[in-house]
Amino acid sequence: MIPQRLQKYLFPAWIAFLGMIILGALGAAFVVFTQGLQVTNMTDLVPWGLWITIDLSAVALGAGAFLLSAAVYLLGLKQLEPVARTAVFIGFLGYTMACMTLLLDIGRPDRFWHAVAFWNIHSPLWEVTMCITFYLMVLTLEVLPIVGHAEFVEKRFPWLSHKLESIHKLAPVLAVIGLALSLLHQSSLGATYGVLKARPIVYRPSMAVLFIVSAIAAGPALTVLASKVAARLTPRANVDEALLDKVSKFIGWVLVAYLYFRFWDVLAMNYTYEPGRTEGLKVLTSGALALNFWVGEILLGALVPMIILVSDRLRQNQRLHMLALLMVIGGVVAYRWDTNIVSQLVVFTMIPQEIIPRYTGYIPSIYEIMAGAGVIAYGVLGFTIGVRYLNLVNHEQTAHEPEFIADKPAVAAGAAD
Amino acid sequence: MEAKEMTEATVTETQKQNGNKPGNDKQALKRRDFLKLSLAGLAVTVGPSVMWKTASSGGRGEEESPHSWAMVVDQAKCVGCGHCTLACRAHNDVPEDISWNRIIEDKEEGTFLPIPCMHCEDAPCVHVCPVKATYHRPDGIVMMDYDRCIGCRYCEMACPTGSRSFNWREFTEDNPAVPTWGQPEVARRPRGVVEKCSFCYQRIDRGLEQGLTPGVDQAATPACVVSCPTGARIFGDLNDPESAVSKALRKYPSFRLREDLGTGPRVYYLPPRDKENKDSDNVEACS
Repeated sequence: MIPQRLQKYLFPAWIAFLGMIILGALGAAFVVFTQGLQVTNMTDLVPWGLWITIDLSAVALGAGAFLLSAAVYLLGLKQLEPVARTAVFIGFLGYTMACMTLLLDIGRPDRFWHAVAFWNIHSPLWEVTMCITFYLMVLTLEVLPIVGHAEFVEKRFPWLSHKLESIHKLAPVLAVIGLALSLLHQSSLGATYGVLKARPIVYRPSMAVLFIVSAIAAGPALTVLASKVAARLTPRANVDEALLDKVSKFIGWVLVAYLYFRFWDVLAMNYTYEPGRTEGLKVLTSGALALNFWVGEILLGALVPMIILVSDRLRQNQRLHMLALLMVIGGVVAYRWDTNIVSQLVVFTMIPQEIIPRYTGYIPSIYEIMAGAGVIAYGVLGFTIGVRYLNLVNHEQTAHEPEFIADKPAVAAGAAD
Repeated sequence: MEAKEMTEATVTETQKQNGNKPGNDKQALKRRDFLKLSLAGLAVTVGPSVMWKTASSGGRGEEESPHSWAMVVDQAKCVGCGHCTLACRAHNDVPEDISWNRIIEDKEEGTFLPIPCMHCEDAPCVHVCPVKATYHRPDGIVMMDYDRCIGCRYCEMACPTGSRSFNWREFTEDNPAVPTWGQPEVARRPRGVVEKCSFCYQRIDRGLEQGLTPGVDQAATPACVVSCPTGARIFGDLNDPESAVSKALRKYPSFRLREDLGTGPRVYYLPPRDKENKDSDNVEACS
């Protein structure tokens, strides 16, 4: 694919590219922190914008960590352990990304700790903040053994490596706590919108269900896709395609469930005219967000990848398989963007007997885009470093089951294509 | 409360362990793990329910109040002059790009609709604020704690009337409404927090200390009510059947904004009445 003599430049070029985006983001973040949120295009009518979408997406895409940990340590699917390792690391990156965007987004970043100190147990956002705080601790404890297992740590600091690796004994307990915390906040992020009776398009109990089901599809999708891409780009990563295939099939069936819930949810909103809700649905299905909704969320985001991932034959085509996973990820990001924005685009006039919605708009400013891109670049950089130095994607080394290793025809880098 | 739960549970744990046969270490260990788990479970379930009791009072543990403040806006009298907004800007030191008191014109009906904070009894903003920076006073006023607000703007997402404004920038310039429309009575808000109409709580509190009656004495009444040239705004105590608001609400039909949501706004509106009755229907206002 890439000429041999250029191969050695690939990694530094990639790092330089990501580094530039991050540098730009640091500049943008500096402007945001010094000038305040006036440099964004958010208004009192659209107070939640691009950064909240990135936050929601990063949390959803980090869902692979709790799912695969639960699969390995609670359901006893031991062969998935190397995949869980990757997922946990991606989850850690995702949740730190979420914290970064939140820090950018709140008006008083110096008071980020207030939610932990001053509780309002009625607020879904308080619950989400607490869960994310605790879950980030769980993820840190889950990631430390991976760091301890890295070659350079083992060689240079054997005592530290031993200490860090011993944390791995906690893995089953961490899996239980992680499962509980994740089930709570992944759905509560949907409830964050679901409780807003001022915004009829999202004021539905189904929000919590849709958020967690879509996260269950998207989280593992990112883990599998990242592993597959890494294995094709560098000899440092090698994957067991048969193992990942099982996860992909699972994702396909989760998409079936997701589309089922989504279908009834959207259909139920059509039963009768509801001021604000019907208009919001129109914005989604035939208005400004129509393309995003039909193509991004439904067709390419769920329907097409569902067919590819459920079908054993189609999944064999690795390119199609990876494309489907990418579509699942894109679909969830589109869903989060639409959900956040559609609730704010329809504004009520307050004149009595005339609850006529008006419409507003939002396009993120350059500072929002630059800072957001930097947060994403941080995540990609973190994964790149993980693959290169932490032996993150290696399905040969950590698989414990002997019979599993025996029958494995080590499908490594690019061999399948 | 929580600490007490913990000690009780620890005692049970020791008792159970002593009851175990010696030499059955492995099982004892397992049981201890199990007990630890159930202890954690107990803390998780009991803790919040204790918190719930303290939290569901809505406020911050203050005592009950004999008052229940409310505002009545008489649409028959409002001419949309905007004096209320300007007085509000001066007394609460609100910058020009923020309004605690929007006025909407209904062109079809030829009426005006001033919209301050509704001070809902079941306020969505109070429910969703993650840090209780916005909370209920016992007298019904929905307060803002600018020192606690983290600026997440969830309250703006939750407010049905769009009564909340975020400080996107720092307000440093001179306030053009000062001194023509009054003098600031509260501190300026910092950049990055949400602010809104406070029913001029500072005037109410100071007035009550001086033995004045809010809604009757100007010094104890919200600035918008005092500044209204047509007397379209009435303020007072719903707990007092003889207050101007209680009388007006008894005498005339009234409505509240977005009543369908059931948030119980404390701002009432009297719709315009038939032309021929207009002159005789002089609502008792604060002079």
